[in-house]
Amino acid sequence: MSDDDEPTAEDQAFAGRVRRAIRDELAADKVEARKSQPPAMPRIPRPTPTGMTCSARRSSTPANVSPVIALERVSLSFERPVLEDVSLEIYPGETIVIVGESGTGKSTALKLILRLLVPDEGRVLIKGRDIVSLSFDEAMVVRQQMGMVFQGSALFDSMSVFENVAYPLREHTTMSDDEIDARVREKLQFVDLVPDDVMALLPAELSGGMKKRVGIARGLANNPEIMLYDEPTSGLDPLTTGTITRLIMKMQRELGVTSVVVSHDIRSANRMGTHIAVLAEHRIVFCGTPEEMAASEDRYIQDFLGGL
Amino acid sequence: MATPLFEQLNTQAKLAVYAIQERALLSWNAVRFIFVRPFYPADVIQQMDSIGVDSLFIVVLTGFFTGMVLALQSSASLASFGETAMIGRLVTASMIRELGPVLAGLMVAGRVGSGIAAEIGSMRVTEQIDALNTLGTDPIKKLVTPRLIAALVMLPVLTVINDAVGIIGGNVISTLYVGVPSSIYWRTVWDQIASDGFTGRFIPNDFIQGLAKPFVFGGIIAITACYHGLNTTGGTEGVGQSTTRTVVVASISILVVDYFMTQLLLGVLNPR
Repeated sequence: MSDDDEPTAEDQAFAGRVRRAIRDELAADKVEARKSQPPAMPRIPRPTPTGMTCSARRSSTPANVSPVIALERVSLSFERPVLEDVSLEIYPGETIVIVGESGTGKSTALKLILRLLVPDEGRVLIKGRDIVSLSFDEAMVVRQQMGMVFQGSALFDSMSVFENVAYPLREHTTMSDDEIDARVREKLQFVDLVPDDVMALLPAELSGGMKKRVGIARGLANNPEIMLYDEPTSGLDPLTTGTITRLIMKMQRELGVTSVVVSHDIRSANRMGTHIAVLAEHRIVFCGTPEEMAASEDRYIQDFLGGL
Repeated sequence: MATPLFEQLNTQAKLAVYAIQERALLSWNAVRFIFVRPFYPADVIQQMDSIGVDSLFIVVLTGFFTGMVLALQSSASLASFGETAMIGRLVTASMIRELGPVLAGLMVAGRVGSGIAAEIGSMRVTEQIDALNTLGTDPIKKLVTPRLIAALVMLPVLTVINDAVGIIGGNVISTLYVGVPSSIYWRTVWDQIASDGFTGRFIPNDFIQGLAKPFVFGGIIAITACYHGLNTTGGTEGVGQSTTRTVVVASISILVVDYFMTQLLLGVLNPR
């Protein structure tokens, strides 16, 4: 290559000017293209949320039965409001599914029931006892009456499936090793797992659906009266979603536990919930049975059902 | 515009005070739970294995080479005074009082502190800490207390090994390279240990200084790592940040605390 072929400083400056001109041209085209697009569909306006008591109770429930879980005019905010004036009553054996857009405070409601959070205003009652004023140690005792299934299962990585399910029994009961072994097998069978096949496995060796089932077995180990589920079907394939949904229905049917499910999955919510509460703008804007929800003429609810 | 700057400084100062308060609370609870049932002896032993036994190799390696380099460096300086026989004293004083505890502390902060922060941080972002809470277990009791006990016990043990291996390393160089006979080297080692006096007639003051420091450093490493692990936010990226912060904060804390402890212990043990 001769020296004449080497690009000079002038050549490079010229090439830079050309590149800049092309870039400006492209940017102008993009702006034009954006202007010519039709405007985005305006959102269907929401109904003005009003504070209401959502009562998950059958008409056949006797009048003297009191709710297992009650949130009374609960408000909570961190840097911005998370829940505002939320009232919720869940009666024995009912399954309430709390649905709503992301960031509307659904998971926060679960944390309030578990007393992992304390509301700024209002009361949280578990079996008639106000848990807001409990000390940390007293709250630990209340939590032992509840089973919690986490979105990502939250199994302890360093423990086998057996140790995970046996954990609450070892911590809070005086059961012998044989009794614990029998209980762990019973719970694993309940969630349709073969105990001998899975007990020695580590969580990392399980599929997503199996993790979820082991998580449910761990939640059930202590025979709790209350089960809480945070997005139990998120991230699962449709078949596994169906399996987990049936499992939650089976618990309601056979064990009669009172359940609170937080979910995005409206189809599963319709199947497993005896009641559905819709949270929007930090308040409950709808509360009723799945049938009542489907029949609702409220535009926000219709939009919500159609969008999910 | 002084106001926004003042507000920013004010916020930063409040955050710093808050962080210190949170660490102090965590330390207090972790210590309190040592005496409260249920105990987790299996977890403590597992952590002693992880913090102590698994760190043995790097600590031995660090100690040996530090002892050798100390002997090498001091031989050149001492030769100019014709006092190469004093290598043993110099290596022993340096290892037992300063380099043994500080280097063991820094190595463990890097190896174990980062591991603890990553493990607890991962548990935080995968909701395992919340799971512990909902299963009625205090995460501080289950996770922090066993690690604190293990670090408080194992760091002094590692330091003793570090000191011993360092002095042996010094012996190797002084004998093979400088030409000081082993018998003289070991006599000067003892001279140094005895020179600073004894507490309760039998415990050399150098040992008290050399063992008080790693005990405190063990606490700093365990609490710093657990604090950053428990306060991890932001998914896997947050775990990485917690790990880095732990190593930086623990290492700096060790060096700063070492200075103040030295000044305090010299005042208490060797009042002039």
